[in-house]
Amino acid sequence: MRQVPVPTVPSSTEPVPRAARTRRLAPRRVLSGGVEATRDVLPLLRFRAAGLRGGAKRVAALGFLLIGTLTVLAAWLPAYLAGAAGSAGSGVLESTEVMLLLPSAYLGVLVIAVVSSAASGGGRELMTREQGVAFPVSSTTDHLGALLMAPLNIAWLLQSWVVLGATAFVVGPTGLLAAQVPVLLWLFVATALAQVISWAAEWVRRGPRGAWVVRGTVAGLAAAAAVLVATDRLVPLLDEAPTVRVLLAALDGSEGRWLLWLRTVAILAAAGLAAVVLGAVLARAVSRRPARDELRVESSVRPPRAHPASDLVALLRTDRAGIWRSVPLRRGMAVLALLPGLVSLAGALDWQMLTILPGLVASGGALLFGVNSWCLDGRGALWRDSLPVSPLLVFTSRVLVLLEVLLLATAGTLVLASLRAGLPTLPELVAVLCAAVVVTMQAVSGSLRWSVRRPFAVDMRSARATPAPPLVMVGYSARLAFATTFTGMVFIATSRAPDWRWSVLLALPLVLFSAYRLVRVSGEWADPERRSLVIATVAG
Amino acid sequence: MSSLVDVSALWVRFGQVDAVRGIDLRVPAGSSTGLLGRNGAGKSTTMRVLAGVIPPTGGLVEVAGHDVRTDTLAVKRLTGYCPDVGGLVPRATPWEHLQLAARLRRLPDGWEERARDLLERFDLGGAAHRVTAGFSHGMGRRMSVVLAAFHEPRVLLLDEPFDGVDPLGVEATMEVIADARARGAAVLVSTHLRELAVEACEHAIVLRGGSAVAAVPAREMSGEAGAGAYRALLD
Repeated sequence: MRQVPVPTVPSSTEPVPRAARTRRLAPRRVLSGGVEATRDVLPLLRFRAAGLRGGAKRVAALGFLLIGTLTVLAAWLPAYLAGAAGSAGSGVLESTEVMLLLPSAYLGVLVIAVVSSAASGGGRELMTREQGVAFPVSSTTDHLGALLMAPLNIAWLLQSWVVLGATAFVVGPTGLLAAQVPVLLWLFVATALAQVISWAAEWVRRGPRGAWVVRGTVAGLAAAAAVLVATDRLVPLLDEAPTVRVLLAALDGSEGRWLLWLRTVAILAAAGLAAVVLGAVLARAVSRRPARDELRVESSVRPPRAHPASDLVALLRTDRAGIWRSVPLRRGMAVLALLPGLVSLAGALDWQMLTILPGLVASGGALLFGVNSWCLDGRGALWRDSLPVSPLLVFTSRVLVLLEVLLLATAGTLVLASLRAGLPTLPELVAVLCAAVVVTMQAVSGSLRWSVRRPFAVDMRSARATPAPPLVMVGYSARLAFATTFTGMVFIATSRAPDWRWSVLLALPLVLFSAYRLVRVSGEWADPERRSLVIATVAG
Repeated sequence: MSSLVDVSALWVRFGQVDAVRGIDLRVPAGSSTGLLGRNGAGKSTTMRVLAGVIPPTGGLVEVAGHDVRTDTLAVKRLTGYCPDVGGLVPRATPWEHLQLAARLRRLPDGWEERARDLLERFDLGGAAHRVTAGFSHGMGRRMSVVLAAFHEPRVLLLDEPFDGVDPLGVEATMEVIADARARGAAVLVSTHLRELAVEACEHAIVLRGGSAVAAVPAREMSGEAGAGAYRALLD
C-alpha cells in the first residue's frame, strides 16, 4: 500500500521555523488576536455569573453595589470633612500633612497589587484551570481576566479607598471630579503594572532554577530596603517617587490648569494601556512554561514515616501534608510570615503597634485556605469520610492544624518586627502575645464556621485559585480584617495599662467566646446531613 | 443465606431532588451484586449511603445488622469503599493513605505485608511513596480499590472501579472481588460497564431514575441478548 504522509500539528519540542515566528508576530495578527481575546472576556464573566444561583446572585449584586457605593463615598465625602482644603474652617495644616503622604500612599497601591498578584502566581483566574481546560481560553484573555479580578481584594480596595479619600481631603470640593481622574488612572496603571511584574516573576520562577532566582531577588530587594531604612534614605527616596506627578495632576485638575492636567492624564492612560499589552505578552510567555515546582511537588517521593501513635496524630499528619506539600500555600504562608514583619521592621514600629500584626497574619492565613478548610482533601474527602473515626476528632485535627500554621506565621512576623522595636515593657509583651492568641482563635473559629456552612469545590493545586469565589473572599476578608484589626487596637490600649493582667483579663473572654463558637460549629459538622453536604461539595 | 447488606425502601433527597426513590436491595455473604444504570440513576448515592457518607432520608439500611443511620461508625468499620470520584487525598502518598486507614481501622501489626502485596498486584508498588496529586486517573482508581479492599472488609463497595482502568487493573480488581467473595464478604459493584459487571457479579440490579427496575441473575445480562434486555430497561 502507498504510504501517504499525514500532516500533523508541530510538537511543542520542535523548533519553530523562522517564517512561522515572523508570521506569529505580525502586528495585524497580534491586534486581531488581542481583540478576540478581549471579546472572550465577556462570555467568561457571564459563565461565572451563571454559576450563581438565587440568593448568591442577590448577594453578589449587593456586594458590587456596596463596593461601588463605598468607592464613590470614599472619593467624595472626605472633601467636606473639617480640615479638608477649602472647607469651612479649613486647616491648611491638616490637608498639607496628608498631601505630603499621598505620593507614598499612591505607591502603596502598586506594592499591594504586586504582592497580591505575584504571591498568587499571576493573579486570580476568571476561569479555573480545571474548568478552562475544555475551552480555548487564550493567555491574553486570562491576563485580562486577572486584571479584572485584581480589585476584588480587600487590601487593594482599602488602599484605593484610602488614596481616593485622602486626595479628596487634600483638594477639597472644588474641582474634585477632575482631581480624581488621574488618581483613578493611577489605580489602573498600578494594577496593570503589578500584573506585568507578577507575570515576569512567574516566568522567571518557571525557568531553570527559577524559584531560587525569585527568592534571591526578593531577598536582594529586602536587603536594599533594609539599607535604605538603616541609612535614613527611605523617606527622601519616597519624596522623589514618580507618583508625585499623580498628586500634581490632581491639584492641576482641581485648580483648572488643564493643559498640565491633560498631559499627565494622557501619560497615565498610555502607560496603563502599554502595561496591559506588555502583560499580555508576558502572560503568553508564562503559559508556554510549565509550573516546574508544582509539578515536582505533585510527583515527589516522600520517605515513609513510622506508623502514627494515635488516631489524632494520623489525622494531623494528613491535614499537615495538605498544607505544607502545597507550593502555593507554602509560598502564601512565607509571605505572611515575612512581609508584615519586614514592613514593621522598616517602619520601626514600637511594641504597642505590634499588636496589630497578628491580626494581619491570622486573617491572611485564614484567607489562604482556612475559610474552606475541607477543600484541602479535594476528591479524597469522600474516602476520608468513609473511615471509622469520630467526626469530632476530624474537626479537632483541622482546628489544631489551622491554629499551629497561623501561630507559626504570626511568631515569624513578630520576631522580625521586634528586632527594631526595642525592649518591651511587661504589659506590652503580654498585650502582643494575648492579641496573637485572640485573633488567631477568631480567625480559626470564623474559618471553620464558613468551611462548614459555605463549602466550595475548589482545586487548590493552582496558586491562582482562591478557596471561595472572589466576591465571597472580599466579604470574608472584610469581616476578618474588621474583627482582627479592632481586636488589635483594643490591645494597644491594654499595652499602655500599668498592669499586664489587663490584657489577660481582656483576652480570656474573647478566647472563650471563639472556643464556644468552635464547639458550636463542631456540633454542626457532627451532623451527618450537614457533613455529607460539605463532603459532597468539596469532593466535586 | 444471611444478607450482609439489607436495604428496604431507601429514599435519598437532596433539596428538591429525589436521588433515590425506594430501593430494596439484599446482598448475601459471599456474593457479589452489580448496580447498573445510566448517569443519575442513583447508583453512587446508594453506595455512599452504604458507606455511611450520606445519611438516608428514608427507609432502612443495615450492614451486617447495624443501622447505617444510628450506628454509622460500626458500618464504616465493616465496609471498604471505593468512591466514584477521586478517592485520594491529593498531597498524601499511597502508603500514607494506608497508614491512616490501618490506624483508624485498628488493624493489627502485619497489615503492611498485605498492603504491599495489593500495591504490587495493582502495579502501584513503585509509586507507594509518591504524592497522589500526580497520579493518572487510572492509577487513582486502582489505588482506591486497594484502599477499599486492603483491610478485608465484610462488605466491599466498589463504585465505578473499572472506569479508565487498563486491562491489568481490571484483572486485579476482578481478583479482589473473587477473594472477597471467597472469604464470605458481600460485594457491591456499581458500574456502567455491563460486560464487566456480568463477569464480576452473580446478581445485577438495574436502577432508573432512582428506582430499581430489575433484579436478575447477572448472566441474563450477558451477550447480545443481555445487551438488548439492558438497553430496554434504561429507557
